[in-house]
Amino acid sequence: MHNCDSLDPLVTPFVDGALTDVDRRAVEDHLRVCPPCHSRIAAERAVHDLLRARRASLCRTEAPDALHARCAGFAKAATAAKADSAKNLQNLQNLPNPEPRTPNAERRSPNPALRLAPFAMAASLVVVVGGAFVYQATDKSARVMAAELVADHAKCFAMNSALGTHQAASVVEQSMASSFDWQMHLPDASRGELELVGARPCLYGEGRIAHIMYRHHGRPLSLFMLPDKARAQEMVEVLGHEAAIWCANNRTFVLVSGEPRRDVEQIASYVQASLH
Amino acid sequence: MSRPGLRLVSPAFEAEALASLDSLYRAALRLTRVPADAEDLVQETYLKAFRAADSFEPGTNLRAWLFTILHNTARNRARDRARDTVAIDSDVVDRAADTPPPGSRASAVETPETLLLRETLAPDLQAAIDELPEQFRQAVWLRDVEEFSYAEIARMLSIPVGTVMSRISRGRHLLFDKLKALRPANA
Repeated sequence: MHNCDSLDPLVTPFVDGALTDVDRRAVEDHLRVCPPCHSRIAAERAVHDLLRARRASLCRTEAPDALHARCAGFAKAATAAKADSAKNLQNLQNLPNPEPRTPNAERRSPNPALRLAPFAMAASLVVVVGGAFVYQATDKSARVMAAELVADHAKCFAMNSALGTHQAASVVEQSMASSFDWQMHLPDASRGELELVGARPCLYGEGRIAHIMYRHHGRPLSLFMLPDKARAQEMVEVLGHEAAIWCANNRTFVLVSGEPRRDVEQIASYVQASLH
Repeated sequence: MSRPGLRLVSPAFEAEALASLDSLYRAALRLTRVPADAEDLVQETYLKAFRAADSFEPGTNLRAWLFTILHNTARNRARDRARDTVAIDSDVVDRAADTPPPGSRASAVETPETLLLRETLAPDLQAAIDELPEQFRQAVWLRDVEEFSYAEIARMLSIPVGTVMSRISRGRHLLFDKLKALRPANA
């Protein structure tokens, strides 16, 4: 037979029906002779039963649709990042060996250092896409913000590939100037390897942000501009992408790419220097 | 072969994980009490979950795994923002939990307890839950509403199973006393 104190650890599992038969019978024996313990267990059980009975009404609050959409976007972005990574791997496998077996191996696949150099010359592919989308400029952590932008990066590029739209640099410059008062000069499409793909506006949350899409050697790269918000300059790795974040002129810029961190840092420095 | 932190998210995993979004959001609201913060917390939870999808052990409770991530994330954030939060002395809370609730053993409840609570109005119940101290509220909710096991709750809250049970017990008694006190007003 239990005394009241030794019953303590058994009360809650007794109410929850989580005791072994032996312990349950021991508790029941005690309750028959101890009205105070009977009372406290009855009180606990009453609350337990009430909460279970009212579960549906207690769980009525639902997450906003936009939150559902964003979280679903994370999964898509994670999957896209995986696919992207497979391509990375393929590219790496195509890199020349330290001792190339064929004389033209280097021409087929330039080494990463050489591959980056032309970017500063704006000779690589640059796709510009204007899009105003709406964004809630809250105190989101850099990580969450970067994740949202990576999801948008993946979504907009997927949409752009499907639509196959093209837009001239001058059109995008005008759009950025009128929508965001953002004066910029984009690399001209006539400069060899430059390719303009198109624009796609995104609607998202509250507030507006600019989304400019580039391709760097065919690889998607996004530059986002958010309304004024002071943030620390940092690199965030999220969903298989790197996000370079910096602030200038009361605006936050985020450059998102699936390329290696070192490359993204270099590209970000270049973009940072070229934006006014 | 993949880059660090990069995981394949299977459609089945994605669907099952996203099916818990509403209850995670409710949990986040209970933790943060601010909708924007709750949304942020849920997003970070999914972000971590999708990144770490392959560390999830198939056959175990995915919903419990997501709740654990959510609570861990909330705890880390609270630590980061310690200056903004009200410090709660966990030991004091647990000592309180070990002390029998006042009157619970000494005085018997006159009417059958379940009958007493049966007429509780939904807003009163919600308010009484909201007024519970954080630790007890979480424990009771996770057990009685979300129906997680003691072991799952222990992992989520990062406390021993014994403490989970004592917090549930204490929380239920506090709730009972609050609801009982409302009865004359409702009558």
